[in-house]
Amino acid sequence: MVSTALPDSRWIARGEERTSLPRFLFWLAPWAVLLALGVYAAGLCLYYGLNQTNMDNRFAFGLWIFLDLGIIALGAGAFFTGFLVYILKRAELRPILNASVVVGFICYSGAVAILGIDVGQPLRFWFTFWHPNTHSMLTEVTFCISCYLTVLCLEYIPILLRNRQLRKLPSFLVFEHQLHKLVPVLAAVGTLLSFFHQGSLGGLYGVLRGRPFAFRQGFFIWPSTFFLFILSAIATGPSFLMLITATAEKVTGKKLVPYDVLRRLGFISGVLLGIYVAAKSIDTLIWLNFTSPSEGFAGWQYYMYKPFGTPILFAEIVLFGLLPAFLLTFRRTAAHRGWLLAAAFLACAGVLMNRFVLTVQTLALPTLPFDEFLQYTPSWQEVASFGGVIAYGVIIFSLSYRYLPLFAHSKGDDAHVPGH
Amino acid sequence: MFPGIDGFHWTVGHVVFLALFFAVALTVITTVASAAWRTAKDFRDHRAFELCWKDDFSALPSADRRCRHELAGRVISRTCDHEFDCRTCTNYQQFAVLPATGFAHDLGLEYPADRLYHRGHTWVKPAEDGTVTIGLDALADHVIGDPDSVEMPAVGDSVDVHQTIWRIKKNGYVVSVRAPLEGTALSIGNRENRWTLQVRPRLDLQDPHTLRHLLRGPEVHGWVSRELERLQVQLRPRDTAATLADGGVLIRGLMDALPNSNWDTVLADTFLEV
Repeated sequence: MVSTALPDSRWIARGEERTSLPRFLFWLAPWAVLLALGVYAAGLCLYYGLNQTNMDNRFAFGLWIFLDLGIIALGAGAFFTGFLVYILKRAELRPILNASVVVGFICYSGAVAILGIDVGQPLRFWFTFWHPNTHSMLTEVTFCISCYLTVLCLEYIPILLRNRQLRKLPSFLVFEHQLHKLVPVLAAVGTLLSFFHQGSLGGLYGVLRGRPFAFRQGFFIWPSTFFLFILSAIATGPSFLMLITATAEKVTGKKLVPYDVLRRLGFISGVLLGIYVAAKSIDTLIWLNFTSPSEGFAGWQYYMYKPFGTPILFAEIVLFGLLPAFLLTFRRTAAHRGWLLAAAFLACAGVLMNRFVLTVQTLALPTLPFDEFLQYTPSWQEVASFGGVIAYGVIIFSLSYRYLPLFAHSKGDDAHVPGH
Repeated sequence: MFPGIDGFHWTVGHVVFLALFFAVALTVITTVASAAWRTAKDFRDHRAFELCWKDDFSALPSADRRCRHELAGRVISRTCDHEFDCRTCTNYQQFAVLPATGFAHDLGLEYPADRLYHRGHTWVKPAEDGTVTIGLDALADHVIGDPDSVEMPAVGDSVDVHQTIWRIKKNGYVVSVRAPLEGTALSIGNRENRWTLQVRPRLDLQDPHTLRHLLRGPEVHGWVSRELERLQVQLRPRDTAATLADGGVLIRGLMDALPNSNWDTVLADTFLEV
């Protein structure tokens, strides 16, 4: 016969072609092993404490915080796409909206999970709300991330309820319909929350007066890193979304969204990246020439410790900033899929490098005359937890792709997007 | 942070932060509560099933959403934009007056002219006492054959148009058959009378609009012809191109005859399942 039904075909949207269940499980298997290892490592950290890591009182931010900052920045595609579609009415980005929500959900839930291990005592999570440190930017970050994860869950629910079997329950379908009508409100709230927590994550470094490598001056109570983090997140979020979509297209062998959507995302990403690079360059010049000298440090001092030489600054601003910004916005390169995706990759690598520099380089550099250059290598538990979050993301995205309508126009007919 | 906790002070910063935090929390809670309340209201006002059908309809492939006038050959191509509800379609009359140009040939299936048909493969036969009889049409009967079991509404149950009226189990598949009109079940059939239902329609049968959404005459022929073509393509042997039939009629009990076909897709297409 033409084809036989998959064992789980009743859960797959009508008309969608998916790989066989054994093949899908074969794809998931290594990720499940990695996730299991991550859960085991996280369990060790929670049971025995942070002595399972290679962090200490001086090197208190490590791989986990780098991961948190990185995926929160890359996950900004969720709120920013919602903002573009619902607030700025850029309807052409609708085909990628559901995928952006799932990517955002994965990024933020992964970040919160890692924070839960890093902070320790997860059963006392409510302390941060009830006994907050009112002088810490992390308090604002905690509040905003918690609220935004709630918002992302609520945005994920309508997508979940569109599963072929779940939508057969009238109450679910009607609730999904009604909730979907209110999603613009959630998108607006998500934008507000994201704006503040992305900024505060950057502001957190900018206020470290005892760490002159990170310390910045700024506007009112906000150091310049507050604004740079927001800019870099909204610049690279769409690029990450583009990369995820392209990867999904490669893995599944299907065209999931029209190329114009990727180009549009690329253009938005490129323009914002250009603005970010300009702002970052100005900020770096001000910091090197005014802020740092006023704290008693010459600029060259920061770059005399290998591997954190000046090439890392060059890479951050030019290789991972200016170059992808140019490739994403220049019409001829953006028309070429390879260049577009390479540029998106560079942009994402750039934001990760920025978070790495601010997290690791800041702590590694000596600040007092008797300080030494600190070295830190993550323990296997840290690496495994890190890998566990990556595996969690792949599994959730794979399951969502298989059973939920992630990409609205992948069927190839003119059926419009339900509920939109 | 909160009043009464850990040395809280009424400062501008605290007030602004608390106001923002509670505004956000309140907005999120209100949004969810509002969605839940609207859902309950939709069920109370009997709008829920209409919303479900609208949503299902929009998710159907365009091939399943052809206008009845295209099926009858009155227009070359037209996609229904009214969820198959011709009762409220303002364009209905404009096309209905055009001559049907569809070519009629023998379908090999019995579609009596005294009945009206729903796209979900059910028929409706009005009776003089103001009730209607509802049954599964010939194509559906030939596809399913003898069901393993059938779930039907109980006597007195309310039936909503386009919502599930029968749940038929066959070879491990569950087929949800959509109701052709709204009403109240008066009596339910059994295996002998092919599970037919007698229903008292919610709307007045004397009103010509009440059954206007159901197919009739040349529309039925055009529709069933397309359905047969679809079946032929979907049930063709593996690794063969679509070919024209060289005659013959559909056998009854296709699900038994071709157990390895992709019945999930075939049944979804046949019974307008999303």
